[in-house]
Amino acid sequence: MAHAAFTSADSDLVPVFQARALAKTYGEGEAMVRALAGVDLECRAGELVVVLGASGSGKSTLLNLLGGLDTPTSGSLFYRGWDLGGADEAGLTRYRREAVGFVFQFYNLIPSLTARENVALITEIAADPMTPEEALHMVGLGSRMDHFPAQLSGGEQQRVAIARAIAKRPAVLMCDEPTGALDVSTGKAVLEAIERINRELGTLTLIITHNSVMAEMADRVLTLSDGHITGEKHNRTRAAASTLAW
Amino acid sequence: MSLLDLKLIRDLRALKSQAAAVAIVMACGLAMMIMTRSLIVSLETTRDAYYRDNHFAQIFSRLKRAPNSVAAQLTAIPGVASVQTGIALSVTLDLPGVIEPATGLIQSLPEQGELTLNRLHLRAGRILVGRESTGEILVGEAFAQANQLKPGDEMAAVLYGRRQQFRIAGIVLSPEFIFEAPPGSALPNNKTYGVFWMPYKELARASNLDGAFNQLSLRLVPGASEPAVIAAVDDILRPYGGRGAYGRTSHPSHTRLRDEINILNGLSIGFPLVFLSVAAFMTNAVMSRQITLQREQIAILKAFGFSNGEIGRHYLKFSIVIVASGTALGVLGGVFLGERLVDLYHVFFRFPALKFQLASTVVVLAVFVSSIAAIIGVAGSVRAAVRLPPAEAMRPEPPSSYRPALVERLGFGRLFTVTFRMALRNIERRPVRASLTVGALALATGILIVPNAFRDGIGHVLDYQWDLIQRQTVLVSLIEPSPARTLADFTALPGVILAEPVCGAAVELRAGNQFRRLSITGLPAQAELYRVMDSNGRQITLPPEGIVISKKLAEVLGVKIGETLFVRGLEGKRVEFSVPVAGLSEDFAGTAAYMEIGALSRHLGEGDRINAAYLTVGAGQWNEFLRAMKASPRAGSVVVKNKIRQGFRETTAKSIGLLQQIYLTFAAVVAFGIVYNSARISLSERQRELATLRVIGFTRGEVATVLVGELVMLTLIALPCGLLIGSGFARVILMTVNTEFVRLPLILTAQNYAFAVLVVAVASVVSALLACRRLDQLDLVGVLKARD
Repeated sequence: MAHAAFTSADSDLVPVFQARALAKTYGEGEAMVRALAGVDLECRAGELVVVLGASGSGKSTLLNLLGGLDTPTSGSLFYRGWDLGGADEAGLTRYRREAVGFVFQFYNLIPSLTARENVALITEIAADPMTPEEALHMVGLGSRMDHFPAQLSGGEQQRVAIARAIAKRPAVLMCDEPTGALDVSTGKAVLEAIERINRELGTLTLIITHNSVMAEMADRVLTLSDGHITGEKHNRTRAAASTLAW
Repeated sequence: MSLLDLKLIRDLRALKSQAAAVAIVMACGLAMMIMTRSLIVSLETTRDAYYRDNHFAQIFSRLKRAPNSVAAQLTAIPGVASVQTGIALSVTLDLPGVIEPATGLIQSLPEQGELTLNRLHLRAGRILVGRESTGEILVGEAFAQANQLKPGDEMAAVLYGRRQQFRIAGIVLSPEFIFEAPPGSALPNNKTYGVFWMPYKELARASNLDGAFNQLSLRLVPGASEPAVIAAVDDILRPYGGRGAYGRTSHPSHTRLRDEINILNGLSIGFPLVFLSVAAFMTNAVMSRQITLQREQIAILKAFGFSNGEIGRHYLKFSIVIVASGTALGVLGGVFLGERLVDLYHVFFRFPALKFQLASTVVVLAVFVSSIAAIIGVAGSVRAAVRLPPAEAMRPEPPSSYRPALVERLGFGRLFTVTFRMALRNIERRPVRASLTVGALALATGILIVPNAFRDGIGHVLDYQWDLIQRQTVLVSLIEPSPARTLADFTALPGVILAEPVCGAAVELRAGNQFRRLSITGLPAQAELYRVMDSNGRQITLPPEGIVISKKLAEVLGVKIGETLFVRGLEGKRVEFSVPVAGLSEDFAGTAAYMEIGALSRHLGEGDRINAAYLTVGAGQWNEFLRAMKASPRAGSVVVKNKIRQGFRETTAKSIGLLQQIYLTFAAVVAFGIVYNSARISLSERQRELATLRVIGFTRGEVATVLVGELVMLTLIALPCGLLIGSGFARVILMTVNTEFVRLPLILTAQNYAFAVLVVAVASVVSALLACRRLDQLDLVGVLKARD
C-alpha cells in the first residue's frame, strides 16, 4: 500500500490534517470516558502548533489519533486527503513509518544502541532519510554520536530522540511533553532543536504540553479542555525558544 | 486471607502461562523420577515376595546324569537347607496351524507332592501332581499367551527325537522364568520359545534318565557361604558330568531382571536431574523478572512497614505454588505412566501380580528436591529486592548500561544490522543468563538424543547379529552330539542350500584368578553362515590353533591377544588344555568363545563331532523343509531366524517404542518450556523498547524479529552444544547397559541429530510465535507514557 500522501511534500493548499467532529471514547456503559468529544481541526505544512491543556483534557488522545497510534470512535480524520481515521493496522504502521516523527517525555531510546545507531534504526527503514550524522548534527550532538543512552544526560537523550524522529524527513513531528522530564536550561536546548527542525525542514510540528510558556514559540496555540477545543490563538510573531523562561 | 496473599493470587493469575511452563517442566522431571523409582520398587518388592513365597532356589547346576541317590549327598552339604533335583530337556514343539517350529525347555515335576523349590504359580487349569503320566503338560504363561494356548488344548513336542502328543493341563508361572527366554538372550520371544513341566516319570522315560536327574536347585540356610556350597556341589557332581554350579548372580532370568533394574536406576537419576535443574533455572528467570517489575511495590510495602521477612516469604510463596502444582502434576503423571509401564513390563517379566507401587519416599524426596530447586531459584532475587532501601527502590532502575559487543570491539560491527547488534549486546550484557538459557536449551536438545540412540543401538545389534554374524535361515540343534558326517543328512533335506557344522563344549576359561564358565563354539575356519567378526566389522578367520573370545570376555578375564587361557572341560573327558588368545570378537549379547571346529575336537579328544548345524534354505521349498525337519529324529530344536526377528518386532520393539516416546515427549516439553519462557521474559523486559519500535513505524514482523532474534542466536549456539551433550548422555546411559550379558553400542546417526534439532527448532518456533502474539496486545501509548 503506497499512498502519495506519505511521500510527496505537497503544496500548502491541501491541509496536512483535516479533522471533523473527531471523537474518541474509552470503555462502555457507566465506565465510558469521552476523551475527545468532537474536534474540528486543520493543520498546514510548516506550522508549529502548541496544544495546551490540563491532564485529562484530551490532548494526548488528540496526539495519539493524529500520530496514528489509535483510531477515532467517530468523526473523520484525513492526512493529506488520505483517510487516516479509517486506516487499518498495516496502514497506520506505514503512516507512522513514513510520515510521522515522535518525541516522548521519557525519550524511549533503545539502551543497547548508541546515539548514532538509535537514529540509524530509522534511517534503515525510511524511504529518503538523512544520514544519522546529519540528523545528530542538527540537534547539536555531533560529538557524542557513539555514546550509549546510559552515558548521555537527559537533555542529550531527548535530543537523540529528536534526531531519531526527524531523520526520516517526516511530514509531521509529534512532541508529547518533550521537556517534561528536563530542567529549564536543558529543556530550552531541546525546544531550540525542535524549533530549528520546524524552520529548516518545514515540518508540521505539534507540541503537546501543559506548560503555557511554550505557547509563545508557536504559530498557533490550541487549548483543550474536557475533550473540546476551547481556544485557538494565532501568534503574529513567534518567540525564539531561547528567550522562553519558566 | 491476608492482602499479601490476595496480591499473590492476582499476580499468579497474570503470570499463569509462565508459571505453568515452569510447573510442567518440573512435573516432567518429577514424573520421570517417580515413574522409574516406583517401577524399581514395584519390581524389587514383587520379585522378593515372589522368590520368598515360591521358594526360588539360590544355587543351580546342570549335569549329564546322576542317580537320584546323589541328592542325599547334596542335602548333607553344610549350609544347604533344601535340594530339588529333576530333569530338564530341550524340546521342539509342533503347534497346530503353525508351520515353523518353536523350541523350549521342559522340566520335570516331582514324583511326590509339589516342587519344593521354584514352585509354580498356577494361572489357569490345574497343577499336575503324582507319578503317573497322563499325557498332560503345564505351559509357561508367556508362551501360552503368545500362542493363544489354554488348558485342554493339544500340542505336539519332539522329545529326545520322539514326537509325542500332549494335552495342556494348566498355565503356570515360575520364579525361575520371570524372564521367559532362552539363556543369554536380552529380549524375549515368547512365540517361539517356551517353558514346560511334566511328570518326572514320563520325562525320565523319554530321555532315558529314569532314576536319575540332570539338573538341581538348592536353597541355603541363612548365613551359609554360597561359594563354599558351590565348590562342594561341584565336587560331588564332577563324576556325574556336572557343568558347574552357579548362584543367582549367574541365573539368566534373575540377572536379566537385575540388569533392567540397574538401567532404571540410571534413568531415575540422570534424566530427572536435568529436568529439575532446568526447572530451577526457569523459576529463577521468572521470579527475578517478577521481582524487578515489582521493585516499586516492594519499596511501598517496606515503606508501609512490612518486614524483609514478610516480603521474602511473600515471594517465596510464588515458587511454592509453582512447586506444589508441579509436584501434583508430576506425581499424577508419574503414577499414570508408571501404571502404563507396569503393563509393558508384563511383556518382559512374568510375575503372579506386578502391581504398580508408588514409591512414597520418592515423592517426599521429589517434593524436597524441587522445593530446594525453586528456593534456590528465587532466593537470590528476593534477597536483592529486600535489601534495597525503600527510597531507592521507589526510583526507577537507572538505564541499563551497554557497550559494543565483542565482535564489534574486534572491528566486525559494520557487518551486522542494527537489530542484530541489539541482540548481540543484550546477550553480552547478561552473560550468565544467556549461558543458562543456552545451557537449558542444550540440555533439551541433548535429552532428545538419548532415546533415539537407544533405538539405533538396539537396531544395530539386531542387524549386526542377524545380518552380519548369523546369516543362516535356521539353526538346528541335535538331541545329542553326533559324528560330523551327520551334517550330510541335513544337506540332503529338501531346500537346503548350505549346511555348516557347529560344535559346542561346556568349559571353564581361566586367566589368573578370573574365570568364566561358558560354551566354546567350534565353527569352520571361515564359516559362511556364522561369521565371527572383529570390531572393525571384518570376519575373523579362526586359526588352526588358538581361541577367539568376545572383547567383553577378554576384559572380564583381563587377557590380551597373545596371552594364554587355561581351558577346563566340564563334560565328557573333562580335558584340560591351554590356548593362546588369537583374536577378539565384537558381539553384544552375552560373551562367547570360538575355536576352529577341528582344533576344538582335537583338544576335546572325542573325535569329529557336531551338536548343531546352521542351514540356509531356499524359500521355494520352505514348507517341505519344515515338514522334513519336524520328522527328523536327530533334530532337538529348530530356531528360525526370521521368526525370532519378527517376534521381536511385534513385542519388544513396540514396548521400547513406547518408552522412547515418553522420553521424547518430555524432552520436547522442556524445549518448548524454555523457549517460551525466555521469549516471555524478554518480551516483558523489552516491552518499552518494542513499543517504541512499533510507534516509530516498525511493522509487527520487524519487531518480532528483534524479539526473537536474540533467542534464535542463543538457540543456534545451544544446538551444537546440545548435540555434544546428548552424545555424552547417550554414552553414559549406554554404559549402564554395558554388562556381561547385554551391551548396546553407541550409534549416533545424522537422523538422530537432525531429529533433535528439528524438535527444538519446532518447539522454538511455536513458542516464539505464541510469545509474539502478545506483541499485538502491546499497549503502545501506555508503555510510552509510563516510566520503566
